[in-house]
Amino acid sequence: MFYFENILKVLVIIVPLLVSVALFTVAERKILSSIQRRRGPNVIGIFGLLQAFADGLKLLVKETILPSSANKALFILAPLVTFFLSLIGWAVIPVNEASVFSDLNVGILYLFAISSLGVYGIIISGWASNSKYAFLGALRSAAQMVSYEISIGFIIINVILCSGSLNLSAVVLSQKSIWFCIPLLPMFILFFVSCLAETNRHPFDLPEAEAELVSGYNVEYSAIGFALFFLGEYGNIILISSITVLLFIGGWLFPFFSTLSGSLCFSIKTFFFIALFIWVRAAFPRYRYDQLMRLGWKVFLPFSISWVIFTASILSCFNWYILCFWIFLILYLLVLICFLLVSLGFY
Amino acid sequence: MILAATELSSYLPIFLMIGAALTFGIGNVVLSQLIGPKRAGATKGIAYESGMNPITSSRKRFNVRFYLIAMVFLVFDVEVVFLYPWAATFGNLEPMSNESLLWLLRILFFLLTTVVAYLYGFRKGVFRFD
Repeated sequence: MFYFENILKVLVIIVPLLVSVALFTVAERKILSSIQRRRGPNVIGIFGLLQAFADGLKLLVKETILPSSANKALFILAPLVTFFLSLIGWAVIPVNEASVFSDLNVGILYLFAISSLGVYGIIISGWASNSKYAFLGALRSAAQMVSYEISIGFIIINVILCSGSLNLSAVVLSQKSIWFCIPLLPMFILFFVSCLAETNRHPFDLPEAEAELVSGYNVEYSAIGFALFFLGEYGNIILISSITVLLFIGGWLFPFFSTLSGSLCFSIKTFFFIALFIWVRAAFPRYRYDQLMRLGWKVFLPFSISWVIFTASILSCFNWYILCFWIFLILYLLVLICFLLVSLGFY
Repeated sequence: MILAATELSSYLPIFLMIGAALTFGIGNVVLSQLIGPKRAGATKGIAYESGMNPITSSRKRFNVRFYLIAMVFLVFDVEVVFLYPWAATFGNLEPMSNESLLWLLRILFFLLTTVVAYLYGFRKGVFRFD
């Protein structure tokens, strides 16, 4: 009985997740086409809503081509790893108060570990394909993910300092008086940009730069292998949007509308970030590789380390980090002015 | 310290999730193998390189910068993981107390070593990608 109940819960998480990944791809194509003043998919289903399911079915019935020079076992394993890692992170995401599958006390650490493992799927696929495009794409992608993961780690430490817990529900509940995106505004912006780089999205989609590497690490994949990579990547985007919501935007909490259902608030906020991901894709040109690495190592990393020291010092001196955000507002302006001066000096 | 039974039981859902994710992924691959056509050919199996015949294997030496990035990543990632338990405890300490000041000074020394490592790498040109 106990196992039956838990297996039902797993299905309740995974099935809506996969459906939302499918609808996310349709939403991306629809929003992109609207920005570029075209129609987008509109034939299958109402407004093209069933397009993603048709694509998925087609990918399922196509032939899986194994390149003769590839390492067969690893070649098949790689998309499985990516897909599997994007799903298991959802076990610790609380969508509402007391509605979480596993209320792990080290939830943030678990998510950090899962996102670190994400590099393996890409490295394995690039090496196993034995194709130059795939290999170069995998190298680039791995270096990029690894670089931005460090700044993500330091940014999350700020949040842990303010909430004093590694449990995701406790982090959300400690944002009752104010969402962390206000006192930690610079860290919030850095976190979102790092997430774009971590999920290999525009404007940091160097591994998939079509003009240089065709499609990056998944050039050789067809049929279900490609579909699993695709599902994994988009699942990761939804996962990381929801992590942003939990850490900075107060999860299921919503001020003034306390009658609103918590999970509804959570999904609205998550959707906002997903839409932001798509919007950024349409609006920004791609970075050059050296610019990308410079941004990660020379700007984000020192800035996030110094902000950790700053937050810790403020916390040990003042009674309430949260209520002195007026002081921070002035500090932001100072930092902003410094940045402007520095950037004017550089260019 | 021995983990409490309630704490251990919160890991059970994670194992179930891992099982379900693996089942779904492997099931899809097997299903695709059963349904999909299988028409292998000599030219079909060649690695895609924009129509060229692949000259050599792609498993050759590559730029050393990627290796450097991996090493620096190891250093910083381990430091981040060291900071996690500190941050979770420090957030609960009483502000303005001697204890909190001591904890702050300790971690400031630790971060100082990080900064020294960073500056060393910076001077050595580890972060230069042009």
